Amino acid sequence: MTSAALFATSAALGLLVLLGGAYGVLYALGAARSSPSLTGAGYACYAGQLLLVLVVCLGSPLASLWKLFMAVSGVVYGFIPPATWRLLDSIHHNQLQ
Amino acid sequence: MYRSQKLALRYFIAAITLFGVMIAAGLLSALYYIDPALLYNVFDFQMAKILHIDTLIIWLLMGFIGAVYWFLPKELGREVVGIWVAELLFYVFCSAVAVVAVVFVVVQYGGSNEFSMWFINQGRKYVEAPRWAAVGVVAVVLTFVFNVTATAWQARRITGVLGVLILDLVPLAVLYLDAFPKITNMSHDLYWWWWLVHMWVEATWEVLIGCLMAWSLMELMGTSRRIVETWLYIEVMLVLGTGILGLGHHYFWIGTPQYWLSIGGFFSALEPLPLLGMVVHAVYDAGTHHMKTTNRPAFYWVLAEAFGNFIGAGVFGFMMTLPQINLYSHGTQWTVSHGHFAFWGAYACGVIAIMYLVLQRTRSAEHFDSRAWKWGFGLLNLGLVGMVGGLLIAGITQAIYERAEGGSTLQAFVAASEHPWFRSAMYARFIFGIVFALGYFALVYDLLAIGRRAAVAAPTQAAPA
Ligand code: HEM
Ligand code: HEM
Ligand SMILES: [Fe+2]
Repeated sequence: MTSAALFATSAALGLLVLLGGAYGVLYALGAARSSPSLTGAGYACYAGQLLLVLVVCLGSPLASLWKLFMAVSGVVYGFIPPATWRLLDSIHHNQLQ
Repeated sequence: MYRSQKLALRYFIAAITLFGVMIAAGLLSALYYIDPALLYNVFDFQMAKILHIDTLIIWLLMGFIGAVYWFLPKELGREVVGIWVAELLFYVFCSAVAVVAVVFVVVQYGGSNEFSMWFINQGRKYVEAPRWAAVGVVAVVLTFVFNVTATAWQARRITGVLGVLILDLVPLAVLYLDAFPKITNMSHDLYWWWWLVHMWVEATWEVLIGCLMAWSLMELMGTSRRIVETWLYIEVMLVLGTGILGLGHHYFWIGTPQYWLSIGGFFSALEPLPLLGMVVHAVYDAGTHHMKTTNRPAFYWVLAEAFGNFIGAGVFGFMMTLPQINLYSHGTQWTVSHGHFAFWGAYACGVIAIMYLVLQRTRSAEHFDSRAWKWGFGLLNLGLVGMVGGLLIAGITQAIYERAEGGSTLQAFVAASEHPWFRSAMYARFIFGIVFALGYFALVYDLLAIGRRAAVAAPTQAAPA
């Protein structure tokens, strides 16, 4: 790997997870405050994450199996905040009954 | 207050004290990177670093043990069984730590023989304490596991959190035995040593802190038991499902078979996913319970735990966990950067949160707030993030100039260490280390002072629940 590719790839990988986190936080904040604009900002972060997945898949020297992995996990990230939120809501809800 | 809870307070005092020793040793370790000739042949870098990371492990373990001794009698509504042994062993533990520290400072090292192993240094990173002291640690931990299980047994009661905790303590304690064997083959040695380090921080400790956070959430926000337990089971499964085989990310370059490249890369790359779930959970709780909390310092430290765990372990870990990247980052300051952020976020913040929680009870303060805790919180986290940022720059400089361009020769190592980016980053790390140390003093001051005035107004002791 050239040093430029090393730098770009690792930065993209770190940023990608960070955006996943920002998506999670904003999505959850949006849901907590019923604020569509926060939720929207969350989706924007997720879109940024997917964009980075694309960049890694097309531009980085990672082996193709890792690229496949990145693509699949990029999709999985999309489900985590809503699924977690729904899960938390349902266990809290059961509790109230 | 139960005797077990008084013991918890003693453990917290010891932990905070060792935290201070750890910072002093860390600052000293950082100075060698600015002046490599510092204390040459008098007190060398490796001794300062050993002190730094061994006290790290011990203060966190003491924090965990103290936390369990605090929550356990409340959970079961009775005094801990065999508490007097635990009280006795606390002093044995502290004396052993002190003696080992003195030996590390004065004697430092010995020949490669049995005597050194028994009385000076057993040799494995993070658990270097000599054998006699390591035997002592085993005794303390066994007593602790006995206290927990026997109390549950006598109470004829088990809760979900406690069940998970007991199941977790057994492997956690057994893994410590990894400090003992004398293995001469380097690959075999590292193979087993990583079980200790990785299976602690990315499996058994994660479960332990999960249990402690579950109890804390019930106290802090009045979250119901059913909720925290359901959540705990799911998190534990996910963390263990990804974390155990994530072990492979330490088996890339130590002479282990090639399949570890795929196993380690794959499972460890999944590790951030459950951590993301925790972040969502933190925001959920913050959103729904924020107004209800009467203990803002504990609340903010819990939040710092969730975020720090995600960023320090998840983001910084993921950046270098694929073998193709790790080839370049391995063993550079990049790793050190991740190590600091992850330990801080996942464990140190959690222990501090619990201390605040406990102090609110012992000082019977209805509203637990102060100005100093904000200084402590701000300076510690600013210092940590600054250090970690400096280390990241230093590590990337090494990965680029020493590895990718220099081809990992000794010459390249020296050249990268003299690179201006690397050198400035080392200065920055030291300066932020000072900021961190100032935060420590604010924290200690606050832990001593917070809630005291309220306690005068309402002098009732926290009654056993
Ligand atoms: C004033 C604050 C601190 C300073 C100046 C400092 C400095 C250092 C230095 C110089 C090293 C040696 C790195 C090497 O081998 O090149 C080190 C290692 C380490 N420190 Fe710190 N440290 C500080 C605080 C902390 C904290 C708060 C934690 C955890 C909560 C921590 C955890 C570690 C760990 C795990 C290592 C071993 C990393 C490795 O070898 O990869 N340190 N520290
Ligand atoms: C709370 C959780 C974690 C803690 C406390 C932690 C701490 C550490 C420490 C101290 C080291 C340096 C060990 C040494 O060489 O002495 C390390 C290495 C490493 N960690 Fe973590 N870690 C955590 C989670 C993670 C996660 C989730 C990932 C991956 C996504 C990860 C990836 C790595 C990798 C790849 C290395 C090896 C670096 C190298 O030697 O090349 N860690 N970790
Ligand atoms: Fe690991």
